[in-house]
Amino acid sequence: MRVLPSLFLVLAAAVAGPGAQAVGPDYESEIKPLLTRHCVPCHGAENPKGGLRLDTGAAALLGGKDGSLVLPGRPQESALIQVLQGDHASIDRMPYRRPPLDLGSVRKFRDWIAAGAPVPASETPGVHVHWSFVTPVRPRVPSTKTTAPTSLDAFLLARLEDSVLLPSPLASAETRLRRVHLDLTGLPPSPEELDAFLADPSPSAYARVVDRLLASRHYGERWGRWWLDAARYADSNGYSVDAPRSMWPYRDWVVEALNRDAPFDRFVVEQLAGDLLPGATVAQRVATGFHRNTQINQEGGVDPEQFRIESVFDRVATTGTVLLGLSVGCAQCHDHKFDPITQREYYGMFAFFNDQEEPSLALPADGAVAAASTLVMAERTAPRDTRLFIKGDFTRPSEAVAPRTPAVLPPMRARDGRARADRLDLARWMMSPENPLTARVIVNRVWQVYFGRGLVETENDFGTQGTPPSHPELLDWLAVEFRESGWSLKHLHRLIVSSAAYQRSSRARPDLAESDPRNLLLARQTRLRLEAELVRDVALSASGLLDRTIGGPPVHPPQPEGLGAFTQNRREWKVGEGGGRFRRALYTDLRRSTLHPALAVFDAPDTFTACTRRLRSNTPLQSLTLLNDAQFAEMAAALGARMAAAGGPVANRVGAGFLHCTGRHPEPEETARLEALFRGELAAGAAEPAAWRAVGRVLLNLDETITRE
Amino acid sequence: MNASQPLLSLTRRHFFSRCAMGLGNVALASLLAEGPGPGTEPPAPKRPHHRPKAKSVIFLFMAGGPSQLEMFDHKPRLNALSGQPIPDSFLEGKRFAFMDSSFKNKSTLLGTRRTFRQQGRSGAWVSDLLPHTAGIVDDIAIVKSCATNLFNHAPAKLFMNTGSGQFGRPSMGAWTTYGIGSESRDLPGFVVLQSGPRGPRGGAVNWSSGFLPTSHQGVPLRGTGDPILNLGLPLGVDDAAQRRALDAIRDLNLRRAAETGDPEIATRIASYEMAYRMQSSAPELMDLRGESDATLALYGCERDRPGFARNCLLARRLVERGVRFVQLYHTNWDSHGGPGETLEDDLARVCRETDQGCAALVKDLRSRGLMDDVVVVWGGEFGRTPMGETREKTGRNHHIDAFTMWFAGAGIRTGQVLGATDELGFNPVEDRAHVHDIHATLLHLLGLDHQRLTFRFQGRDFRLTDVHGELLHKLMA
Repeated sequence: MRVLPSLFLVLAAAVAGPGAQAVGPDYESEIKPLLTRHCVPCHGAENPKGGLRLDTGAAALLGGKDGSLVLPGRPQESALIQVLQGDHASIDRMPYRRPPLDLGSVRKFRDWIAAGAPVPASETPGVHVHWSFVTPVRPRVPSTKTTAPTSLDAFLLARLEDSVLLPSPLASAETRLRRVHLDLTGLPPSPEELDAFLADPSPSAYARVVDRLLASRHYGERWGRWWLDAARYADSNGYSVDAPRSMWPYRDWVVEALNRDAPFDRFVVEQLAGDLLPGATVAQRVATGFHRNTQINQEGGVDPEQFRIESVFDRVATTGTVLLGLSVGCAQCHDHKFDPITQREYYGMFAFFNDQEEPSLALPADGAVAAASTLVMAERTAPRDTRLFIKGDFTRPSEAVAPRTPAVLPPMRARDGRARADRLDLARWMMSPENPLTARVIVNRVWQVYFGRGLVETENDFGTQGTPPSHPELLDWLAVEFRESGWSLKHLHRLIVSSAAYQRSSRARPDLAESDPRNLLLARQTRLRLEAELVRDVALSASGLLDRTIGGPPVHPPQPEGLGAFTQNRREWKVGEGGGRFRRALYTDLRRSTLHPALAVFDAPDTFTACTRRLRSNTPLQSLTLLNDAQFAEMAAALGARMAAAGGPVANRVGAGFLHCTGRHPEPEETARLEALFRGELAAGAAEPAAWRAVGRVLLNLDETITRE
Repeated sequence: MNASQPLLSLTRRHFFSRCAMGLGNVALASLLAEGPGPGTEPPAPKRPHHRPKAKSVIFLFMAGGPSQLEMFDHKPRLNALSGQPIPDSFLEGKRFAFMDSSFKNKSTLLGTRRTFRQQGRSGAWVSDLLPHTAGIVDDIAIVKSCATNLFNHAPAKLFMNTGSGQFGRPSMGAWTTYGIGSESRDLPGFVVLQSGPRGPRGGAVNWSSGFLPTSHQGVPLRGTGDPILNLGLPLGVDDAAQRRALDAIRDLNLRRAAETGDPEIATRIASYEMAYRMQSSAPELMDLRGESDATLALYGCERDRPGFARNCLLARRLVERGVRFVQLYHTNWDSHGGPGETLEDDLARVCRETDQGCAALVKDLRSRGLMDDVVVVWGGEFGRTPMGETREKTGRNHHIDAFTMWFAGAGIRTGQVLGATDELGFNPVEDRAHVHDIHATLLHLLGLDHQRLTFRFQGRDFRLTDVHGELLHKLMA
C-alpha cells in the first residue's frame, strides 16, 4: 500500500524553509530499498555500527553517536551524502569496503533530503511496526463502479478500476468445471459430470458442484497433500541410511481432518501439541506426527544429541515458516539481520520443542487395516535445560533460556497460571485472534494454489524483506473471514472458488501484456501446470485405471530401471500388483534419498524441509517421462482400449478420449488431427489396438492435459 | 506431415488475428511464424556483442563454502596467532566491517593444520589436501580476493548464480543461452550435474530462468543411477511411431498455444522436440565405452559409477557437443566443525572426491585443444572465517569478504595468483573480485557486454550484474 502524503511526518518542514520543497523520491519505493540493501547490513536494528541505525528513515534522521546524518533540506551539508560520495572529513567512504553507490542512487538520497527527507509516520522510532505484525481488522469492502458479484471480487475490481483495466470474462463452463474439480479434489470431472453441469441452466449449478466437491473424500487427499508439503512428510528417515518409517497414519489423519473440515485452529493445535490436550485421544496423538517428520540419522558413530538438536532446529524453522511466514531460522546463529527476532528469542522458541520424548505409538488393527505404529511426540516429565548455542553450535551452550515467543508479536501466557509455558501454550498463542500472522499466512498459501501466486508473493517471508501484499485489504479481509468462520478451510475454499476472479478466463490479453505483464491485479486467471501428483492422478483417471482407495500404507507403482540404490541400505521397490499399482500419487512411498522419478521430475518437494511453494519447471525430462515411462505407456494403452471400446465412428471415439483428458469436446480440427493420427498408425501397419494406444499416448502428453486452464 | 499443415496455417492465422501479443510472447510468435521447424529447436547461436574468447563455461560449484584457508590462502601469521583473540590493532581498522560483537568478544583465530607448498612456475601455494590441483597451477588462475554479499547457504548460492539473493532472477547459465543461444541442437544449452549426499540447497532455483523464457532454464541430470531416465521407447513403439506421436502432440499444442496465448506452451513444444533428439543424443553422451582406460584413469572414475569425477568427464563431453553452460554441484563443503563437518576428516574426504576430477578436466581439455573454447570456474558460494576454535576437530564459519576461486581456459591469463588478502585472511587488500565482477568477466569472455545484456521486465531493464560489475582485466589474457 502506498503511504498517503497525509501520513508523512515532514519532520523538517521548519528547517527546510517554506514552500521550497520539491516532490522528492518516494521513500517506500526508492529510498528504503537503498537503505536496506546498502546500509542495513551494518546498521540494522541489532548491534548497529557506531550506534547508527539506518533501518528506518526516522532512525537515519535521529543519527548515531556522531549526530544526525541527515539535515533535511540541506543535502550537501548532510553527512549521509558526504560519506556516500567519500568526501566526509573524518568518516570513510560508505558502504565501507564495498563498491560505492552509483550516481543515480546518491542522487535519490540527495533529492530526498532536499525535499525535506520525509518518512512515513509508521517508521518513527518507537512506533515503527511492520505491516504484518499488526493484527488484521476486517476492512470495509470497497465500492466499485460495476457491481462486484462477491465481496472478494470487490477488492480486486476496485483496484482494476483504479487502473482502468477490464477483467476478463468468465471461462467456458467446461474450463470452469475442470478447474474447480482439479483445484478441490485433484481429479478431473467425468464426462457424466460435465454433461450434467452443461445441462443444468440454473444459476446455482456451479455452487452445487462446489458443494459436491467439498463433500468428496478426494478433497482431503488434494488439500492433504498441500499440507503435507509444509509438514515435510516422507515415508523414510532421510540422511544416508534412509530407512523406512511408518508415518502414514499421520498422513491419513491429515486427510481425514480436512475431510471433516476440522477447524484450522484445532487442526494446528493438535499437530503441535495434541499429546498435551486434556484426555488426549489416539487421533490427537497421531496428529503430533507433524513434528516427527524430521529426518533421523541412523549412521553408526554419530552423536545422537547432535541430530536431536538438528531436529529441534528444524521444528523451530518449520513452525516459523509454515505458521508465521517468518524465517526465524536465521536467528539460530545470530540476531536476525532484518526482522525483529533476536537470537535469544530464537532459543525461546527452541525451548518449546526441546522438552520432548520421541516415541512410537502402537495403533490397533482397524477394520481391513492391520495394526501399525507411527511416530508421535510426548512431553518429558522434567524439562531440559535449554541454553542459547553460540553461533548455533550445540557444543557451545551459553545462557539459559525459557520458552517464549518473539516480543514483536502479541504476548503469550502459560495456561492456568503455570510458571513455564509449553507447546500447548505456543500452539494456542499461534492460533489466537491477536496473532497477526498465522491467518494471513494460511489464507495466502491457499490463495497461491488458486492463482499461482500469493497476495504476498514471498509466501514464506512476511518479514521486512518479503514483498508487501499486492492487495493488503483483501488479504486482511480473508484472514479475518477465515478466523471468524470458525477457521473453516472449506469456507475459505468456497469463498475463493465462488468468486468471479477465480472463474475468469486464463487467456492471455495483449493489453495486459503491456499494462500488467505479471497479472498482479488478477484481471484474468492463470494457466498452471499441474503439480507432480496431479500429473499422475489425471492420467490414471483419464485412462480409467485409477484406484480410488483412500488411505493406508504407502504403495509402490512401477518406476524406471536405472534409479540406482546408493543409500547405505538398499531397499527393494516391490511393485504393487492389481489396484495397488494405480493408487493416487499421494500414496506413493516417499523415500527421501530416491524420490519416485516421475514425481521428482515434475517438481515434487524434496521432503527435507518444509515446502511452502511448488516450482513449475518445464523441461525435456518431463517430456521423456510422459512419452516413454512404462507406467504412462500402461495408462496410454488403457486409454486407447477405452476409446476402442467406446464404439461408433472414429471421430466420436477420439472425442471421448479427448474429453477424458481435457474435460472438453475437441474442436473439429483437433478431432481431424487425431483421426489422421489414428489412420496414419493403421497405414503404417499398426493393428487397431496399437493405433488406439498411439492416440491415447498423444492425449496424455498434451500440454492441456497436464495444465489447469 | 501433411495432416498438420492445414491446422498449422489455421493456427497461425488465428493467432495473429486474435492475439497480437506483447513482449512475453515473442517466443510463441516466432515459433508460430516459423512453423514447427527452427522455432521448436533450442535457442540457436546468436550474435554476441563482441568477438568472444570462449564458447562455453564449465562451473565446478563446490556447494557449502570451501575453506580457502585450508586449501589456497596460506597464512603463516594466522598460524602464529592461532588460539589468540583477534588483535586489537586489527580490529581498530575494522570499525565498519562485518563482524558482530559476538565475534569480537568470543572468537579466536584458528591456524590451519594443513601443510602448504608452493607449486609450479607461478609458485602458487596449495595445501596437501589438493595434490592433483597442485599439479595444474600453471594452467589455472587462482583468485584469492573473491567477495560476495550474503552469508547463508541458500541465498548465497542464489547470489553466486543470479547476482541476487531474491527468487525470480535468471541464473548465469540462463543469461548465457539467452544472450548467445546454444551450439547444441540435440542437448539442452544449460545442463546441471550433481554429486554428493544431496542436491545443493535451494535446488532448482539455482538454475532457474527467472523471468527469462523458461526454455533457458538449466536441465538437471540425476545424481544417482542413470543421469537421464526414460530414454528408451516404450514397448511396441518404434522411432517412426514416436515421430508421428510427436508431430501430433506438437500440432495440437500449437493450436492450444494460439488459443491461449500462453508462452509456456512454446517451451513445452521445444521440450518435446528436445526430448525426441535426446533419445539418441543422451545415450551417446553417456556411453563412456569410447573413452579410453587412460582417460578414465586420469579422471579416476568408472564408466558406470556416478560421482563428481564422472560428472567432470561428462562435462567435457557436453561442451564437446556444443552445450553452452555446464554446472557441476558437489556437496558438502560446509565445515563448521561438528560431526560430518570438520576441517579434518570431512574436508579431506570432499577434497579427495573432487581434486582429481577437477585437475583431470583441465588436463583433458588442454590435451584436446578445448582450452581455447571453454572457461572452467571452480568455487563455492563463499569461503570461511579466519576464526574458529582450537580443539580436537576444528571448523570455521561462513566468510563472505574474502575467499578463493580459480579459473582456467579460454581468455584466462593462467599461471598466476591474483588478489591477496590481509595477513589473517579477513579482507582482500588488492584486486578484489566481487561476484558481480566475476559475472561481468565471464559474460565478457563469452562475447557479451554485461551492461548491454538486458531483459525488460516489469518496466525495468534487468541485468545479471544489476547496476554493478567491473571487468577483471588482470584475470583475462
